[in-house]
Amino acid sequence: MIHFDQVSKRYEGGHEALSQLSFEVPTGEMAFVTGHSGAGKSTLLKLLGLIERPSHGVITLDGQNLAKIRRGGIPKLRRRIGMVFQDHRLLMERTVFANVELPLVIGGVARAERARRVRAALEKVGLLPYERQLPATLSTGEQQRVGIARAIVARPTLLIADEPTGNLDPQLALEVMGLFGEFQQVGTTVLIASHDLPLIKRMKKRVIVLDHGRLVADLASQEVL
Amino acid sequence: MPPETASAAEAAPRNEHSRGRRVGSWQEHHRWSAAASLRRLAARPLGSLLTIAVMGLALALPLAFYLLLGNVQKLGDALGQSQAISVFMQPGQNAQQAQLLARQLGARPEVASVSIKTPQQGMDELAKMQGFSGALQTLDSNPLPYVLQLQPRAELSAGAVTQLVADVRGMRSVDMVQDSGSWRQRLDALLAVGNRAVLVLASLLTLAALLVVGNTVRVDIASRSEEIGVLLLVGASGAFVRRPYLYAGIWYGLFSGMLAALLAVLIELALAGPVAQLSQAYDGKLQVGGLPLWLLLAVPLAAAALGWLGARLVSAWQLRKAV
Repeated sequence: MIHFDQVSKRYEGGHEALSQLSFEVPTGEMAFVTGHSGAGKSTLLKLLGLIERPSHGVITLDGQNLAKIRRGGIPKLRRRIGMVFQDHRLLMERTVFANVELPLVIGGVARAERARRVRAALEKVGLLPYERQLPATLSTGEQQRVGIARAIVARPTLLIADEPTGNLDPQLALEVMGLFGEFQQVGTTVLIASHDLPLIKRMKKRVIVLDHGRLVADLASQEVL
Repeated sequence: MPPETASAAEAAPRNEHSRGRRVGSWQEHHRWSAAASLRRLAARPLGSLLTIAVMGLALALPLAFYLLLGNVQKLGDALGQSQAISVFMQPGQNAQQAQLLARQLGARPEVASVSIKTPQQGMDELAKMQGFSGALQTLDSNPLPYVLQLQPRAELSAGAVTQLVADVRGMRSVDMVQDSGSWRQRLDALLAVGNRAVLVLASLLTLAALLVVGNTVRVDIASRSEEIGVLLLVGASGAFVRRPYLYAGIWYGLFSGMLAALLAVLIELALAGPVAQLSQAYDGKLQVGGLPLWLLLAVPLAAAALGWLGARLVSAWQLRKAV
């Protein structure tokens, strides 16, 4: 479970990206975080991945207070989180297989088990035939799916995605969102930052709306029109 | 068996299995890092070769100076062995007195050998010298004294030789002592300065090599900041991210150490001819040597450790800035 309690984030220079934000996302739920540009969506995800630290308030993930995690403990936390980025963040010198394999190598998974899980993840996102190719030879949508395969291959308890469909055409965007929905169905908590309102409406999931760093609406799935 | 016990019994082998798997994975990543860093070096051959050449030269210079100093030391030792102290007896001393003094001096522990040169032998030596034969014919009698050629022991220090000369000079039957110890003292003093200079130079050049490898790794890390960012975001630890760069430092060090050892051997070979001629001039007494094999083998290993250290310091500093 994700729990934000009166969380604020003020950057150096005084800009307040988040202000006294409180909400909960139960384990296994899929939720969207939306709002206009600069609303604080990305900052919220960065706080969860410990890329940033809150200025005030408490964030807990499955009961663990993130403020108490020291620098040395960050990698262990991140291995529990799958992250998907708008710009994919793939390693272009490595093959699709090697990119997806990365969290398992880091996690110390044995070679045979890695191969099995990487192929399963690639099959899930429909890219198994491309495992030996370099990411640069794939389309933007395919690259995004490689990023998703990498995020889910280590079976994270939380999947966070920052504008995962930002560079995709509507059809591909819907397919990618469908994939996230499948992971939620197997018990993974999924939190997606997106400003694509038509797509969010089609998904009919919980929506957390931010404006200038403040929570302005928290809509249950049935409330999404 | 109670459920708790069964669970604990099952957990133990599972933990061992998990530990074994992690060690295996750790070893695998070490192998991968070693190979990947080597491939990266090969991927930009010019840059890598320049770094290795600069480091290799920096490490070869102290080796060359060490080689030179060692051989000057040996040369000094060889020359020192051939330098006898000449003891001129008072005029009018006879052969018996000369033999008595020779026995006295020969009994001293600092003295290796004593030989007597008679006045006639001295006259004969002079007669062989060009321009003296005519002048000697005008002499009524032989004015030369008995001379004792005194050979100090080889292991004797310069200070002990000076003391021996002073003792001999104070003997009643001795008129004059020609001492070759003073030049030896000067040589020893110069060698001490040289040794210290080599030490300082070696320290400075080692630091330079450390900075070269550190800067190369710094540039490498900076050019791969995106990759490092991705690795950290998917849960890589600092040690995991650092590993390929540490291996790069080891490779740079190892190859530059090998180059330095090779250069030192080439310097030895270049000096071999002139040194052989010099040795001949001293009846083969001059034994000029090269660098010992253990040192030639130790240099690449020490340089690899130096490369690792440079990479470790820089990568720790660089990665502290990463997310």
